[in-house]
Amino acid sequence: RNQDQDDDYETPSILDLKMLRLKERKWLQMLNNWRYYINFKWEKIRNRCRKGIPHSLRSQAWFHLCGAHLQKNRFPNLYEELLRKNVSNDILDDICKDLHRQFPNHEMFADPNGTGQTDLYNVLKAFAAYRPTMGYCQAQAPIAAVFLMHMPAERAFWCLVALSRYYIGGYFEQNLKDIRIHGQMFVTFLKKYSPSSYHLLKRQNIEPEIYMTEWFMCIYSRSLPWPSVLRVWDMFLCEGLTILFKVGLYLVDSTLKNETTKTCPTMFETCQKLRNIPKSLVTENLLINGIKRFELKDLDLLKEHKHQMKKLQKLTKKQQQQQQPK
Amino acid sequence: MSYAYLFKYIIIGDTGVGKSCLLLQFTDKRFQPVHDLTIGVEFGARMITIQNKQIKLQIWDTAGQEAFRSITRSYYRGAAGALLVYDITRRETFNHLTTWLEDARQHSNSSMVIMLIGNKCDLESRREVRREEGEAFAREHGLIFMETSAKTAANVEEAFINTAQEIFDKIQEGVFDINNEANGIKIGPQLSPSNQKSSSGNQALGTGGGCC
Repeated sequence: RNQDQDDDYETPSILDLKMLRLKERKWLQMLNNWRYYINFKWEKIRNRCRKGIPHSLRSQAWFHLCGAHLQKNRFPNLYEELLRKNVSNDILDDICKDLHRQFPNHEMFADPNGTGQTDLYNVLKAFAAYRPTMGYCQAQAPIAAVFLMHMPAERAFWCLVALSRYYIGGYFEQNLKDIRIHGQMFVTFLKKYSPSSYHLLKRQNIEPEIYMTEWFMCIYSRSLPWPSVLRVWDMFLCEGLTILFKVGLYLVDSTLKNETTKTCPTMFETCQKLRNIPKSLVTENLLINGIKRFELKDLDLLKEHKHQMKKLQKLTKKQQQQQQPK
Repeated sequence: MSYAYLFKYIIIGDTGVGKSCLLLQFTDKRFQPVHDLTIGVEFGARMITIQNKQIKLQIWDTAGQEAFRSITRSYYRGAAGALLVYDITRRETFNHLTTWLEDARQHSNSSMVIMLIGNKCDLESRREVRREEGEAFAREHGLIFMETSAKTAANVEEAFINTAQEIFDKIQEGVFDINNEANGIKIGPQLSPSNQKSSSGNQALGTGGGCC
């Protein structure tokens, strides 16, 4: 995987470098005046996130975008305290079993005694101590790992906390209800934006959880070429959930829109297509441009969420009624 | 490639028992000690031969952590075979078998063939679950049983193929309704409806094949 990832980077020209320096200056200026920008110039931040955050400032930018810096300032000693707290052995066992299964080909996480796996253990343990009711859900690990690739453990911890608070907390809950709800929401949007793929999936009874669970839960960190992953995270940390949906719509649409039951006779072939999306479809530029046509707003998500929650309530009520007479 | 039947399998069991490694060993004949943890679902396919018939296995490999069960359940539907895996070096993975089995029985079709697998049998020095215990559990619940090692490939082929053999026998006995795809079996292009008569003529041959 690493070899492939290196191939995705092109050597920058002088002009590229000049542009990069300019970009960096702009980001530094924003970061130095973060409160002003986040309160009054949010659109400027958003547009710059869409253009991609310069590598050198990504760590700082992510830390600020998700609001982790506020929490860290408010509780400056908490991370150290959490590390000293007792966490149940079951949870620690679960965490340990997963440490060598996160980006195993990444240099940072390859060595069981290296800093990558040690930091990952600490971040996940601290999180379990911080939110004892949540404990440890496997989706936390790849997310924490991506943060750790960019920042020290304490900061990565606060970013994970921010994600669980403001972005995708439901993905870490015991029953993963939010994944199922988001799956149903995704289908609604798919019907609107990519009717042909919607019909193919529907005909083969392919539930959204089959293909979108890993995409959404890992914020695409294991499903796209690395440069594209970073761009998705840049946008996601700024704009939130809509990005997960937009990227998903692009992936399904571009992979399946021209497929029929002839090319994908069963669920298996269709799922395989979605699992092995050609790299050429998801390069940085194609992906970023590709998602533009999905004009999803937070409000659309809210409305659809409400709708799906109602549907779910009705369904559970019905199931309960069916069970009672027995 | 054409095939006579297509069987759908699922692999279930606690996290870290080696489900993905079993799948990879069977489909690619290799052991990969480092791999990304399964979140959601992985899958693979391979062609096997049973009584001169080409059979395509489609195998769905699921995430083991408790939280994912609600999602895993949607894969049970339409599976003809299940590999229920535990780790012989971790007693708790054996203790959880009952809940896995309940889940599988509740959400799958009743004729689904379940193979119980004690994996990591290469780690004899760290064994916590005796072979006899696995056999007893299997006997008690009517499962086929085998100990495997995804690392050395011991019994991996057999586990997948014996399950297929059992399904095949059940088809010959008429236990499976092969016209209902919800049972996880599909008739392949080799056995189009016109050829089907000849295949049912082979029934006597089919019933002979026991396993283990």
